[in-house]
Amino acid sequence: MIDAGTEPDADAHLLNRRWRSAAEMTLLYVLSIGGALLISAVLVAITGNSWQKVFGALLDGAFRAPGRWGNTLTVAAPMLLVALGMVIGVKAGLFNIGQEGQLLMGAMAMAFVGTKMDGPGAILVLGGLALGMAAGGAYAFVAALMRFRRGVPEVISTLLLVFIAFQIIGFAVTTDWVLRDLDPNRPSRAVTSAALPDDVHLPVVRAFGNEFPIGVIFALALAVFVAYFLARTVWGFRFRLLGHNPRVAQKTGIAAIRTGSTALFLSGAFAGLAGAVMLSGGSSGYRLTTGFSTNIGWQGLLVALLARGRPLVCIPMAILFASLRTGAGFLASTGVDRRIVDVVQALLVLALLMPPAIAFIRDRRRALASSEEG
Amino acid sequence: MARLGGTNGDASVLLELRGMTKRFGDVVACDDVDLTLRQGEIHGILGENGAGKSTLMKMVIGLALPDKGTLYIDGERCRVTDPLQAAARGIGMVHQHYSLVDALTVWENVALGEKGGLDKESTRQRVISISERYGLDVDPDARVGELTAGVRQRVEIIKCLRHGPRILILDEPTSVLTSTESEHLFEVLGEGVRGEGWAVALVSHKLDEILQATDRITIMRDGRVVQRVMTADAEAASLARAMVGRPVTLRSGSAAIGAVSDSDLVAAARHASEDGAPVLEIEDASLIAEDGEVLLDGLSLQVHPGEIVGVAGVEGNGQTPLSRMLSSLLRLDGGRVIVAGNEVPSGVAGAMAEAGIAVIPADRHHSGCVLEMSVAENLILSRLSEVEDRGVLRRDEIRARATKLIEEFDIHTPGPDTPLGQLSGGNQQRVVLARALSDRPKVLVAAQPTRGLDVGAIEYIGERLRAAADDGIGVLLLSTDLGEIAALADRIVVMFRGRIIGEMTRAELDLERLGLLIGGSSEAETAA
Amino acid sequence: MGDFFSALADIFSSPTMYGSAVRLGGFIAFAALGELVAEKAGTINISVEGSLLAGAFLGAIGYDLTGSTPLGLMTGIVGGLLVALIQANMSHRLTADQFVVGLTANILVLGLAGFLNGILDPATRRASVLEIPVLSDIPLIGPALFGQTWPTYLLYPLIPLTWWLLYRTRWGLEVRAVGENPQASDVSGIDVNKRRRQAIYYGGMLAGLGGGFLVLGQVGSFDTAAVGGRGFIAIAAVYFGSWTLFGTLLGALVFGFADAFRLAVPVLGYKLNAQMLAALPYVLTLVVMYAITKRFRQPAALAQPFVRGLR
Repeated sequence: MIDAGTEPDADAHLLNRRWRSAAEMTLLYVLSIGGALLISAVLVAITGNSWQKVFGALLDGAFRAPGRWGNTLTVAAPMLLVALGMVIGVKAGLFNIGQEGQLLMGAMAMAFVGTKMDGPGAILVLGGLALGMAAGGAYAFVAALMRFRRGVPEVISTLLLVFIAFQIIGFAVTTDWVLRDLDPNRPSRAVTSAALPDDVHLPVVRAFGNEFPIGVIFALALAVFVAYFLARTVWGFRFRLLGHNPRVAQKTGIAAIRTGSTALFLSGAFAGLAGAVMLSGGSSGYRLTTGFSTNIGWQGLLVALLARGRPLVCIPMAILFASLRTGAGFLASTGVDRRIVDVVQALLVLALLMPPAIAFIRDRRRALASSEEG
Repeated sequence: MARLGGTNGDASVLLELRGMTKRFGDVVACDDVDLTLRQGEIHGILGENGAGKSTLMKMVIGLALPDKGTLYIDGERCRVTDPLQAAARGIGMVHQHYSLVDALTVWENVALGEKGGLDKESTRQRVISISERYGLDVDPDARVGELTAGVRQRVEIIKCLRHGPRILILDEPTSVLTSTESEHLFEVLGEGVRGEGWAVALVSHKLDEILQATDRITIMRDGRVVQRVMTADAEAASLARAMVGRPVTLRSGSAAIGAVSDSDLVAAARHASEDGAPVLEIEDASLIAEDGEVLLDGLSLQVHPGEIVGVAGVEGNGQTPLSRMLSSLLRLDGGRVIVAGNEVPSGVAGAMAEAGIAVIPADRHHSGCVLEMSVAENLILSRLSEVEDRGVLRRDEIRARATKLIEEFDIHTPGPDTPLGQLSGGNQQRVVLARALSDRPKVLVAAQPTRGLDVGAIEYIGERLRAAADDGIGVLLLSTDLGEIAALADRIVVMFRGRIIGEMTRAELDLERLGLLIGGSSEAETAA
Repeated sequence: MGDFFSALADIFSSPTMYGSAVRLGGFIAFAALGELVAEKAGTINISVEGSLLAGAFLGAIGYDLTGSTPLGLMTGIVGGLLVALIQANMSHRLTADQFVVGLTANILVLGLAGFLNGILDPATRRASVLEIPVLSDIPLIGPALFGQTWPTYLLYPLIPLTWWLLYRTRWGLEVRAVGENPQASDVSGIDVNKRRRQAIYYGGMLAGLGGGFLVLGQVGSFDTAAVGGRGFIAIAAVYFGSWTLFGTLLGALVFGFADAFRLAVPVLGYKLNAQMLAALPYVLTLVVMYAITKRFRQPAALAQPFVRGLR
């Protein structure tokens, strides 16, 4: 039974307990992150390298060396966008894990607009971003159709669609009449699309000797917008209601099929936007290639999961993940395979999952206590 | 207070609990409870929901560990930490109705939770022999999901008897049974007690069945034992007082503990107007589950403005599908629903609510409320269009509305922004009720609205339903609790296997005939 | 399109096609059998992908160290089990979301296998072909089923074993019960999360063996891209089979055929779009899931975590 908490004793007790649980949580986080870093350090040490050097190189690559933090932000932006889309889906109870594919679809749309259409650069950029969103959203929408018409879990369908997306991109960049670069003087014999023309690049922001595409600003603004959207708007409310209790939603007129499909579409649209932003922001030399997505989709997904559905928390998480990537670029000097970074990332994710899970069990036990019927 | 049982060295004492105490956080569920179960006796443990009865029994069976206290079996001090250990000690528990797995067969369910190899033939034989010995008719190869509530109960009992227990605990065993089935159950228990010397603990919040079936009664309130009497010396009014802690006056409150007689009912009969058009009409509704099970089978009923129509029936006869259909959660396969003269499509999101049907579901966590959202959000979630401004929620408006409802419905919460999941069950139910009524519905459907609540909350909800009817709302009360129906309804219909098989007004109420109808006897038979 | 149909006819009468379908489908079947058990207990075990890869990598390492295929397969099983240990304990002891854990475990394995493969670079060899007399002389399916490398045959006894475990042992009964109704199982005295963890361990070991089979019984060498999403196809095979053993195997075989078809087309000299062929198994999976999912009942508590007192 919940008491209004009028007794001073009860208040003090509650406060005390809050402090204790905050301290416990901090300790848990320190322990689990420390554990993850320790394992990573051991891995480095096994290969005969010094972890201090590796750590230094990562920091240099991510922030300290000239021009690097701009780079890190450039990488963080699409991850953040992907994560925001994921958050929208998760709030509506939909677990879209096909961002890698939706991102590719968005990039492909951008490549198509940029290389196959004529018009003023600014219009093409905006058109490409919009079409990128639509393409990513439409790709996720396939999963929505399967989920809401036939009950196919979106976890599996979105995943399978990623592998199909790889092939679609492969087809696009190897087929002359689609996106393949027809210029005989193309840089290598690698299969790519033509590069976006100069006027179809996102404007670049220059500050303190660093530069990054304006997509970074978009992404940050969208994070704030998504936070507001979910917490304060009617649509956000509908998504949350659907995610928490689809039956109450249905009862009060929020049809899962419509609201859920919208959420899944938006979720994919953010991934598509991320792809379009990457391409027009200069990823792989403004060219669409088969390996274009470089796991940004997967990592954006992890960012969202670690932020536990809070859009603003996605910002530091995306920067953390991006810094590991850009930092990895400097690992070559230490002789450590850059794939160690994937391992560190995964270990960090597992470590960060642990404290809330432990807290959940603890809270559950307490809640059970107070609601236990006798 | 004199201790009736509990003597060391008395061979008839099979189980003795001393000073059992269990705290959950700040809540003391059981506080220094002593209890003695003797061979050859049915011991009633009476108390309201939340009195600590189930926790006490969970400690006996090893599903909860006591913080303090000792347990003696045959005079020997024991520690029971899980149900298997309890079974090995000869203690068996018949759970309310949640220990069976629908997808498995009867024999598989009976085998569940044992140790050792799985032997189909011998398990089947045991099921057959137990069912023959105690008259618990059941097919060992039937899939449990296809059985009626009464037969499932038999499976629960067989599952318990398979271990050959000497101490049997039954937790609210009659809540899913018809009166005939309940009587049969008590016969089986009586035979076991006399013939095999069982010690039975019958946990219940129903005075009438405790008085009818037991030899000795222990009454619990707020985690403590407040009275122990021999059933022969017991008297309903004083038991009720001991159980609730104050005299029970309101009718719905008395009904909640089974203290209502026929004469009370007739005296209280109300005359609701049945003239004029019904506000809710269900015509020939049929609903078939994906696996082919018939959930509603040509069900027809009408509710007029200002009347409470009680739908009586044993659980599992279509009440849940009916209430879900009226929440737009299920689509009818045939028939129609008409609200105030307009047909309403079923299974279309929000259509029933839009037409003016508000539903308080039997399981509020299923479609009644959202535990993760705040109290305020729960209170306004059906009226979003009134609290928004160009797509943005007006937080001050939401707060103001919530604060008003919290006050009006006396919801105990630290504040409107507290997550609903942190409120007690009774207060969550008030939130569900407050939202349903604030929607100004034409029809209010209340399914088991008081299940699991304490007497105070039950009385409150009863009053509210009555008041809603007095305001001209048509109320459809679905309940398995005859007392509740008898106390509140103006007109009673009986639901059996997805159909309405009988009807009577308050003035014609005859509990015996009602009981027979609920068991599925047709109108013709009972009239004869 | 005419090309396509004449290719179909040709390919389906080609014995090599059946052989490779069994190899490719067999690889999926190892994982799918284990996944079936995990799903019966209520977990959609996404980390089966990671278990396959870990099994493949540790299988290769084991072979490299000992030069023995049986020992390599055993280290493969250990690899699959290690991933399952992470998955099971994080999702069914700590109640972290099972999909999050599974995905992360997959990424971890991919990273670790890539990182360590660069350093250790295990040398492996394909196991020898063992033709079973008489049986392998049956036309078309004979060589396909009984003319394979010997690790392929490990799959065959696993089929009745898994059936027996699920349907004839107390453990299997409890596994099915916790996947259907964890609350009831708990009240009956079954440790729900323990059974679920064990089911995941079983799934992980089978997937690990499948990974070992991939390296030592099928391809002959390790490559981080070798598994490439086949774990997810194993999950789809379980859906395809609507949680029956026979159906799951059939699903694995159908996907094996799709994969074999992709490989057989260019070999037989047909020119079909390579990307379309590569996408075929995934497209087929989606189509089949779309066609089938709603018709059958999945374990009622599939993908729902269990915490006592919480529904």
